[in-house]
Amino acid sequence: MNTKIVIVNIFRFILLLLMQVFIFNKINLGGYLNPMVYPLFVLLLPFEISGFALLMLSFFMGLGVDMFVGSIGLHAGATVFMAFFRTIGLRIISSNREYESGISPGINDLGYVWFIKYTMLLVFAHHLYFFFMEAFTLADFGETMIRVFMSSIFSIILILFIDIIFKPNIGRR
Amino acid sequence: MRNLIQFIIKNSFFFFFLLLEVLSFFLVVSNNSYQRSSFISASNGLTSGILSVVSDASDYFGLKGENEVLVQENAYLRSQLLESNLWSENSFKRYNDTVKHQFYTYKSARILSKTIQNRNNYLILDKGRRDGIELEMGVISSNGIVGIVNDVSENFCSVISVLHKQSAIDALITSNGYTGTIYWPGKDYTIANLKNIPSHAKFNVGDTIVTSGNSTIFPPEIPIGYITDINLRAGQNFYDVDFRYSVDFNKIRHVYIIHNLLKEELMKIREEQDEY
Repeated sequence: MNTKIVIVNIFRFILLLLMQVFIFNKINLGGYLNPMVYPLFVLLLPFEISGFALLMLSFFMGLGVDMFVGSIGLHAGATVFMAFFRTIGLRIISSNREYESGISPGINDLGYVWFIKYTMLLVFAHHLYFFFMEAFTLADFGETMIRVFMSSIFSIILILFIDIIFKPNIGRR
Repeated sequence: MRNLIQFIIKNSFFFFFLLLEVLSFFLVVSNNSYQRSSFISASNGLTSGILSVVSDASDYFGLKGENEVLVQENAYLRSQLLESNLWSENSFKRYNDTVKHQFYTYKSARILSKTIQNRNNYLILDKGRRDGIELEMGVISSNGIVGIVNDVSENFCSVISVLHKQSAIDALITSNGYTGTIYWPGKDYTIANLKNIPSHAKFNVGDTIVTSGNSTIFPPEIPIGYITDINLRAGQNFYDVDFRYSVDFNKIRHVYIIHNLLKEELMKIREEQDEY
């Protein structure tokens, strides 16, 4: 069971990295939209993962994207911020079921409404950090906020879409 | 002291988070410096190998359009051969001519990776120090200006695109000869601004903007774009000019790197000029 989770996550890491770099980084609509799907990796990490591993894996996920794009540290910082926010976010979004071990964060176990709330919160945190760090100034505040909102909406829709398509073993239970 | 250590251990998650954030912040900042960016790590090793393979594959999708551009460019070059010094040879080879004195040479390169959606955009090309590429060489495509080389490794080089916060290039409006400087405000990758055009200059929407030839990087008369919008705010001495880039940065796959043969001589005489 445990090794299975590890293998699934390694596979997911590589797949999302390649999808991000070679498909979604090429998409650019109106100069504002830059969809990011790799945060899905952090969203789907199991609940029982240790804080250290969570942050470390997020860092490498972001750094992986950075290596291809050439913006060393930018994606990494945003993803670590998002991972840190995940622990707080889980407390904010309540669910009917406890986050006990054996339950994984996803549509299967916790339902659509919970997962959409969860995705919106964390992807927004990620984009907020990313675009402000990229602009590196508060001078164009309004414009940067527009970028954050537009890209967030697009990313959230894509992430939900991808998660529904690749929903793991529906007939498990 | 013990309390402090206990505090840190108790909040190890938070402190590890801080550590990683500081690390990535440091990486971003050390990456932001203009000339000496650590960007070259992206054009090295494993990633460039993968990028090269993917670029090979995706090149096929653009073949048709690319051919059209090449045909047009061939026609253009053919018409230029007699009276100009624009050589299309794929090397920095010099030509001896008793009438003309060669100023620039061109080398073609393929784009391995590029971005257009960020605030600061870069390209990676498949030519490096081995091919004679040096820092601060200009990069153009067949349609117009693209950027300036900012880092060179053995086999690759990285280019600061004109879609960059720090990119500022001297430009000239062909219809009246006034010069200004172009900046990219972000947002749309097709639109940029031309600044420092005085309010008494006369020109129209649709006029062409080309390089001025004032720099040692770009030859004169390389196309930059076409004016789309002219504004003169009350009380201002300079126009706000918007223009559309002549290059579609989303589409380009091949570029030319420009080598200025007389750059050192020019720089030297400028330094002497500054001393007075």
